[in-house]
Amino acid sequence: MLLRLIVGGIFIWAAVTKIADPLSFAQNIRNYRLVGQTLSFATAIILPWLELIAGICLIVGVFPRSSALLVSGLLVFFIILVTVTILRGIDVDCGCFGTFSRKADLWLILEDSLWLAMSLVLLFSSENDFCLLRKNP
Amino acid sequence: MNLKQILRERETWKGVLIILLLSVVLGTVSNAGLVKRFLQGEFRQAFLSKEDYPGLRFITLPEVEELWHNQTAVMVDSRPVSDFRRGHIPGAVSVPLEEVQNRAYDLGGRVPSDRPLVIYCEGGDCLTSLNLARLLHQRGFRDLRVFSGGWNEWLSAGLPVEKENEDS
Repeated sequence: MLLRLIVGGIFIWAAVTKIADPLSFAQNIRNYRLVGQTLSFATAIILPWLELIAGICLIVGVFPRSSALLVSGLLVFFIILVTVTILRGIDVDCGCFGTFSRKADLWLILEDSLWLAMSLVLLFSSENDFCLLRKNP
Repeated sequence: MNLKQILRERETWKGVLIILLLSVVLGTVSNAGLVKRFLQGEFRQAFLSKEDYPGLRFITLPEVEELWHNQTAVMVDSRPVSDFRRGHIPGAVSVPLEEVQNRAYDLGGRVPSDRPLVIYCEGGDCLTSLNLARLLHQRGFRDLRVFSGGWNEWLSAGLPVEKENEDS
């Protein structure tokens, strides 16, 4: 349950800071120089909500596996993204937590790996305590 | 449960799909205003709203050339100093974005606040000019024009080039 709260909480917090300012987040995505203007915009309005809903589901326990899978998938994606960005030598703000943002660097990869480890534990755990939609084993 | 089992279960994908759909709907609805403006052609060069950054706009090579020729605007080069030294628009001031971000940088001493500024970087996909413009806006500069074509467009147009030995 504690893991659920931590990982879900992190995602909700990250989401709220981005939902508050979608344009800044769009620019952050654009700064990674991976996708163009339109895709950056689309990602900026949808991704934060995805993080928010997945985070809430994780804590509340609705679709626990699905949300853990989504959260893990996102984290894997973030880790690859930051690695590629570092390798390309692009110096960029990660855009992770809105205005509390920081550089996309090695520390960020380590941090994301930690969250990923936690969310993988959730994904594979058989415990579904506090889940609203409990599935019988 | 192992990954294979989890991925095989229909319930998992149903949840993923529902969460995804919900995000798309909520994201679009809650940002309906922005989506409308985007569809109308706004934010195509940068994600800056006109209300937040009045006085910041994007200009093309002919405008830059005219401003440069009449000496009405100050050219601001946001690339690293090494690039600036190798060649820049004649008369341009070197204001590397990295340096302005990283330490106390004497902006006032280098950039006049009473003249229009034309900010440029490498061109193509470069974003330092835009980011410098945002930063300058935060520091109180108001007439900011970003030349998106940048150094590459200037160079390929065969316009004059200045190389630096003594200046910073």
